[in-house]
Amino acid sequence: MNAHPVRILVVEDELQIRHFIRQTLERAEYQVIEAATVQQALDDAVSGKPDLVILDLGLPDGDGVDFVRAVRDWSRMPVLILSARSDENEKVNALDAGADDYLTKPFSVGELLARVRALLRRAEGGDAGAAVVRFGDVEVDLARRTVLRAGAPVHLTAREYRLLVVLLGNAGKVMTHRQLLREVWGPAYVDSTHYLRIYVGHLRQKLEADPTQPMHLRTEIGVGYRFQA
Amino acid sequence: MRNDTSGHPPPISSHAIALVACGLAVAVCLPLRDVLDLTNIAMLLLLTVVFIAARLGRSEAVLASFVSVALFDFFFVPPHLSFLVSDVQYLVTFAVMLAVSLFISHLTTSLQASAREASAREAHSLALYALARNLAGAISPEQAVQRVTTFVREQADGEPAFFLPDADGQLHEFPAGTATLGLDESLVLDAVYRSQASDPSCSTSGPSGLTLLFPLDGATRRHGVLLVRDCSRDGLDPLRPMFEAVASVTAIALERLRLVEQAQASRMETEAERLRSSILSSISHDIRTPLTVLFGLADTLALADARLSGEQRDTARAIRDQAGRLHEMVEKLLDMARLQAGQVRLRKEWQAIDEVIGASIQLLGEALREHPVKVSLQPDLPLIAMDAVLMERVFCNLLENAAKYSPAGSPVTIDVKTDDEGGFAIEVCDRGEGFAAGSLARIFELFERGAPQLPSPGVGLGLAICRAVIDAHGGQINASNRADGGACVRIALPCGGEPPGIDPEPADPTEGGS
Repeated sequence: MNAHPVRILVVEDELQIRHFIRQTLERAEYQVIEAATVQQALDDAVSGKPDLVILDLGLPDGDGVDFVRAVRDWSRMPVLILSARSDENEKVNALDAGADDYLTKPFSVGELLARVRALLRRAEGGDAGAAVVRFGDVEVDLARRTVLRAGAPVHLTAREYRLLVVLLGNAGKVMTHRQLLREVWGPAYVDSTHYLRIYVGHLRQKLEADPTQPMHLRTEIGVGYRFQA
Repeated sequence: MRNDTSGHPPPISSHAIALVACGLAVAVCLPLRDVLDLTNIAMLLLLTVVFIAARLGRSEAVLASFVSVALFDFFFVPPHLSFLVSDVQYLVTFAVMLAVSLFISHLTTSLQASAREASAREAHSLALYALARNLAGAISPEQAVQRVTTFVREQADGEPAFFLPDADGQLHEFPAGTATLGLDESLVLDAVYRSQASDPSCSTSGPSGLTLLFPLDGATRRHGVLLVRDCSRDGLDPLRPMFEAVASVTAIALERLRLVEQAQASRMETEAERLRSSILSSISHDIRTPLTVLFGLADTLALADARLSGEQRDTARAIRDQAGRLHEMVEKLLDMARLQAGQVRLRKEWQAIDEVIGASIQLLGEALREHPVKVSLQPDLPLIAMDAVLMERVFCNLLENAAKYSPAGSPVTIDVKTDDEGGFAIEVCDRGEGFAAGSLARIFELFERGAPQLPSPGVGLGLAICRAVIDAHGGQINASNRADGGACVRIALPCGGEPPGIDPEPADPTEGGS
């Protein structure tokens, strides 16, 4: 464990949900700060110096997305979104604004803690720096720019490789279509989602055991993609 | 003759005035008979005829022509006070004088007539312009029609009636009312309304006189027919162009009012849509919140400490699972409510269908644990335009049903091929009991269940949602039972056009891999 306890800011206007999240987090020995409004959350984000924010999108005094934008102006602290299944638009907006991940209500305790741990690990830079990434029977050597599958070299085009590297670099995190398109193809392509369908399809053909039921290059329908080691 | 008589005096008196004028001219010229040349006296008499033509009209001028020639002969050509002519060459003078005066009368009167016609036309144009301006301010079709009626009565002495179509294209008088149509009139009315000809206006004569009919052609469609009954003395036929113009400005006014009405209706529709969706999302928020808490707390209990006995832990798990199921059901109800609330707004994008299928399988996860899903895709399937989020619901519902209604361990298959029209033919089949006999026709209805005898939970929403989504995509969905056992749902999904191409990759020397 760290020297100082990890502090988590929970922004949620429903008292019951807030309490249950606090209970769960405290049981896992995190310190919890609670906020019920965007304004309060912004104050707490500055004064409480949280290590992570769990944010409900529908808040009474404003949009959770505004909070994400405001926080991203000065901090890289991980933000986990809580949302309803039918709010794809809101989710995508929050993720585009800089949120790191989302969780659909209702969620299990195990899921919540797993996401929190993954985000904290990423924030500490636990995953960074590894020159070789392994998943399934695939080995990607980022330093030498080679991809091996079951020991045999796999040929990727420049764009396919770039897309793979971006996904690997954000392992566990949902990357929205816009984010991926901007990073791999450039800002002029942010609406050309068909590029992603085709290239992700290629990557799955080359790297997944069953391309139609991918284990690592996961689809988040209506939102984007997530690499899962 | 200098003294002007006003307007159009009755013919008798105007002829008398013409005669008097000729007499006066002679009276003036008589004292001058010895001073002036005969030629000049003839000129003065001709001048008189010109004045008469200008002031009184054609027949008066003709009368004056003859009379003045006769008077010239009688009073001025020697021998005086006799119609006898001493010199035969005067006969030529008479002939020329008569011809000239008749010709001048003709020219003068036709000039007058066209001047009158021009000014009448100008008056009509001005009135039409005023009508158009008036119509621009009309705020209802009733008002517009009222203004046109007034105009026609004032300007043309006709009795107009308007016939506008109802929703079924049947013509009715507007505003509903008074005009009774003869059989031939109503036949012609219908013919004019339905005619495809560029100018279908026409006229028909009945017992009550002539009736003119003009189509009300707007920019987008025909708005009805203007019918004008002739009440005037001179006949309305010469006014046809004016009526055509009236029909045209009326059509424009009606069209404008209709568009305003449509805009208003669509604004109301949007408003209602917004209200519905905000009600739905607040309902779903209100239901989801306690369910999230219930689910989460039960989950905490189930996972947590050793303080619970095994039985208590099982109870906690059961509460969590039931809360999860309840949530699923609520989501489905809300999905259906959204799909039924007005038009479905599709967010179509070019999608890879295998990706949507894969995501559905991934989302169902546990529910498919006992059912291997075999996906077979035709190689090189193109992208297809669809709403991935809604299609994911379709696949989830179909896979869930397949898993629910087939024995554990039996496979579920998904086949995707392109069909003849370039769309996709999708088949989701299981190895279970199949749909109950006789239920195939109804299973896509709301709250219908394909296998009601089974104890599995469900409210009959899944397939109804599938159909609503596929319908919104312009596709078709139907169900069947396989000959060798198992239920099959087939979906035909149109491709939605030509998928966009992608730029070829620039050659990159530092490409990954080797």
